[in-house]
Amino acid sequence: MGRYLIRRLIQAIPVLLGATFLIYFLTFQMPGADPIQLLAGDKKADPLVAAMLREKYHLDDPFLLQYWNYISGVFQGDLGETLTGRKVSDLIAEAFPYTVNLAIMAFVIEAIVGVLAGIMAALRRGKFLDQLVLLSTLMVISIPVFVTGFVLQLTLGVKLNTAWGIDFFPVSFNEADGMRAYILPAFVLASTSLAYVARLTRTSLMETMRADYVRTATAKGLPRRRVVGRHALRNALIPIVTFLGADLGGLMGGAVITERIFNIHGLGGTLAQAVYLKQGAVVVGGVTLLVLIYLVANLLVDLLYAVLDPRIRYA
Amino acid sequence: MRGATSAKWVAGAVIVAMAATACSTSKDEAGKSGGNITVVLGEPQHGLVGQNTAESEGAEVLNALFSGLVEYDNKTNEPKLAVAESIETTDSKVWTIKLKDGHTFHNGEKVDAQSFVRAWNWGANQDNAAESLPFFDKIEGSEELAPGKDKKPTATELKGLKVVDEKTFTVTLKAPFSQFKTMLGYNAFYPLPKAFEADPKKFGEAPIGNGAFQMDGAWEHNKQIKIKRYDKFAGDKAKLEGVTFKIYDNLDTAYNDLRADTIQIVDKLPVSAMATVSQEFGDRYLYKPESGVGYIGLPLKTNAEAFGKVEIRKAISMAIDRDAITKTIFNGTRKPADDFISPIIPGYRKGALGEVGTYNPTKAKELYTQAGGIPGGKLELGYNADGGHKEWIEAVANQLKANLGIEVTAKPFTKFGDMLTELGDQKYKGAFRMAWSMDYPAAENYLRPIFSKVAIDHGSNYGAYVNEEFETLMDQADKTANEAEAIKLYQQADDIIIKDLPYIPVFTYMSSSAYSKSVKNVEIDAQGRMDLAKVELN
Repeated sequence: MGRYLIRRLIQAIPVLLGATFLIYFLTFQMPGADPIQLLAGDKKADPLVAAMLREKYHLDDPFLLQYWNYISGVFQGDLGETLTGRKVSDLIAEAFPYTVNLAIMAFVIEAIVGVLAGIMAALRRGKFLDQLVLLSTLMVISIPVFVTGFVLQLTLGVKLNTAWGIDFFPVSFNEADGMRAYILPAFVLASTSLAYVARLTRTSLMETMRADYVRTATAKGLPRRRVVGRHALRNALIPIVTFLGADLGGLMGGAVITERIFNIHGLGGTLAQAVYLKQGAVVVGGVTLLVLIYLVANLLVDLLYAVLDPRIRYA
Repeated sequence: MRGATSAKWVAGAVIVAMAATACSTSKDEAGKSGGNITVVLGEPQHGLVGQNTAESEGAEVLNALFSGLVEYDNKTNEPKLAVAESIETTDSKVWTIKLKDGHTFHNGEKVDAQSFVRAWNWGANQDNAAESLPFFDKIEGSEELAPGKDKKPTATELKGLKVVDEKTFTVTLKAPFSQFKTMLGYNAFYPLPKAFEADPKKFGEAPIGNGAFQMDGAWEHNKQIKIKRYDKFAGDKAKLEGVTFKIYDNLDTAYNDLRADTIQIVDKLPVSAMATVSQEFGDRYLYKPESGVGYIGLPLKTNAEAFGKVEIRKAISMAIDRDAITKTIFNGTRKPADDFISPIIPGYRKGALGEVGTYNPTKAKELYTQAGGIPGGKLELGYNADGGHKEWIEAVANQLKANLGIEVTAKPFTKFGDMLTELGDQKYKGAFRMAWSMDYPAAENYLRPIFSKVAIDHGSNYGAYVNEEFETLMDQADKTANEAEAIKLYQQADDIIIKDLPYIPVFTYMSSSAYSKSVKNVEIDAQGRMDLAKVELN
C-alpha cells in the first residue's frame, strides 16, 4: 500500500510537468490579438506603451525561452505576474478558498442527496418515489445551469426578500453571510451531477440487488437493511465513487457559470478571464492546481476501491 | 466648489474652519448626512493610479478619491475649476496654473504645484509604461521622457513643467492647444503625493488621494473597495459616511442585488433589465446621453476600390435606417447619430449630418449605382462577437442588402483586438464596427484621435483617412485662445468629415442606471461615473 502510494505520487510529477508545458504552449499558440491589446479593450493600445509592456513581460521572446523563464521561476516558487502587475500566486490564493468551499459543499450535497435518492428509487422500483426521482433528475439534467441559477436567484434571493422579507438566501456572495451564502450556489453547482449520481446509484443498486450473492444473503434470512447496506450497496458504490472522484475536479474548474451568477470570485472565473485575456501565467498556475486536485482525487478513488471491495489489493 | 467656501478656508485658521464645517455638515438642508451605501463596480485593471488608468472601473474609484485641477459640470459638461484657482493663457501655448489654498492629500500633505508636476513626470516616462502616456505628449520635452522603443529616456522631468512657487506652476506645450484646460479634468492629470514615489505599486493598492473620499483599508481584490468621507476636503464635502464598491463580474447579479436593496446604485444596467427597469424603478431609473458614438468604419486606404468613392460611403450611410436600429434592436437605449460630435459636448450641432444621416433608400440606391458600386457587389461587415454587436450589425447588413441590392455578410471576430490587429496588418478589407467615447468633453476629442493623420499610428484612425484641409482647420482651432472661436473652427473641421464621411456614425450611446429607494441625489456624469459626493440617504 505504502509503496503503491509513493509510486503513484512519483508518477504525478511528469504528468504535472507535461500539463504545464502543454497548457503554456496552448495559451501561447492561441490565435488572435496580443494580450496587451486585449487589456486596452475598445481603444487601440498606444504603440509605445504596448511595446514597453511587451518588453517588460518578455512577450516578444520565442516560445521556448518564455516557457523556460516561466518554469525556472516556478521552481524558485515564483508563479509569475499578470500583465497588470499582480502576482499570480496572490490571484490564485485569493480565489482558491472560495472554490474549495463551494466545491466541497456542492460535493457533499451531491453525494448525500444523490446517493440517498438513488437508493430510495432503486428500492421502490416503479413506485411513485422512483418515478419522482426519475422525472426530477431528467428535468435537472435538461435545464442548463445558468437557467436554474438565475431562476433560483430571482425567486429565492430577490422575490422572497422583497415580497416576504425573508433574506435567508443572499442574491450574491457576501463574506459576512458566512457559509449560508454558499448554500444556493452549491446546490445549483451540484444539481446536474446530483441527478447523475442519483440515476447511477439507482441503476447500479438495482443490478446488484439481482446478483446471486444478494439472493443468498436474503435467503439466509438477513434483515433487508443489512442486505442492502452491507452487501448490495457496497458493490454498487464502486462506479459511483469513480464518478464522484472525477467530478470533484470538475466541480472545482467547472464552476465558472455558477460562480458568475452568484458573484463568487473563485478559480473558475479567474481562469476563464485569464484564458480570455491570454494571460498564460495565470492559466498555467490555475490549471496546474486543478490537475493536482484531479490527481489526488483519482488516487483517493483508487484507494477507496480497496475499502469497498476487499478483493482489490494494491502492492 | 463655490467661491465662498474657499474664501472661508483662506481667511480662517485651518482648525477653526474644520470645526465650523464639522458643525455645518451635521445639520444640512434636507437630507441626512452620514450613512453607508454599496454600489456596483467591476474589478479595476491596474493599481489605482490616475496616470495608469484608462478603463472605466478604475476611473470610477479614482473619481471619488481624487480631485483634479478642473472637473466637469454634470449637465453641460463644461469644465469648471476644482483644485485650480485659475488656469490662464494668452497664446494657448504657455499655461499658468494657480492652485486653491486648503487642499490636502488624505495623509495631510498639502496639494502643491509639485504634486502635479510629480504625477505628470511619472506618467510621461516610458519606463513606467503608464496607460496615459500619450496624454503627456503635448507637453514640451515629452520626447526626452518617451523617446520610443529600444531607447532610454534622457530626462526624468518634463521641460515644459515649471514650478513657480508652492501654489503656481506653468505648462509649456509643444504647440498651442486651446482645449488644454478642458483636458485637465481627465484622471491622467490628477496629482500624486510624495508617498507615491516610495512604492508606486503599494500606492496603487491603497491610494492616497485628495478628493472627497479616502480609502478605508486597502483594495480587496475581486471583493470590494471601501472608501470613507474625507472630512478635511476643501471642496464640497461628501454627504455619505462611506461607500463600498462591491465588485461584480456579472451585471445581472448586480441588478438583482439592487432589486433586493443589497446594493444601492447600479450605473451600468444589464441588457436583460432594459425591458422592465422603468416600470420597476420609476424615476429612480436614470437614462441620459453618454459620450459614446457608434460607427461603421471603412478601410479607405486598404480597400480603396470598394470604399474610395465618397458616393459609395454616402450611399451606405443613407441606406441605414438609424431609427429602426435604435428603436427595435436597442429598445431606445441608443439614439440615432446626427453629428460626429456627441450630443453632450459643447460644439455639437443637432442634425449636422444632414442628408447623409437621413434614411433615404431610393437616393442611396441611385448614388450607389451612379458611382459604379462595390467590386463584385459584395460587402463584409466585421464586428467583435464578445460585445453584444451581432444584432445591430446584422440589422445593418440586412438593410444594406435590401436597399442597395448587394450581398452583405456579417463577419464575427472573437475579440475586438483581433479585428484591430487584422485591420492594422491590412489583412481585413471589409467595413467594421467601431466606437469612440471621449477622454475629456471637447469637440476636438471626437475628431483628432479618430480622423487625423497622427491617429493613423497613435490613435483610432483605422481607415487611414487623410485630409489636409481638415488638418489645417484642426491646427487653427487648437491655436485659438478664444473658446467660442475654437469651437467654430472645430465645427468647420467636423463639416469636412461630414462631407468626406470616412466613418459612418450610426448611433450615440445612452447611459442607464438605477438606484434603490434608500438613496437620493444620484447623478451620473457623462463618462458614466457616479457623483458619489452628492449622494444622500433617504
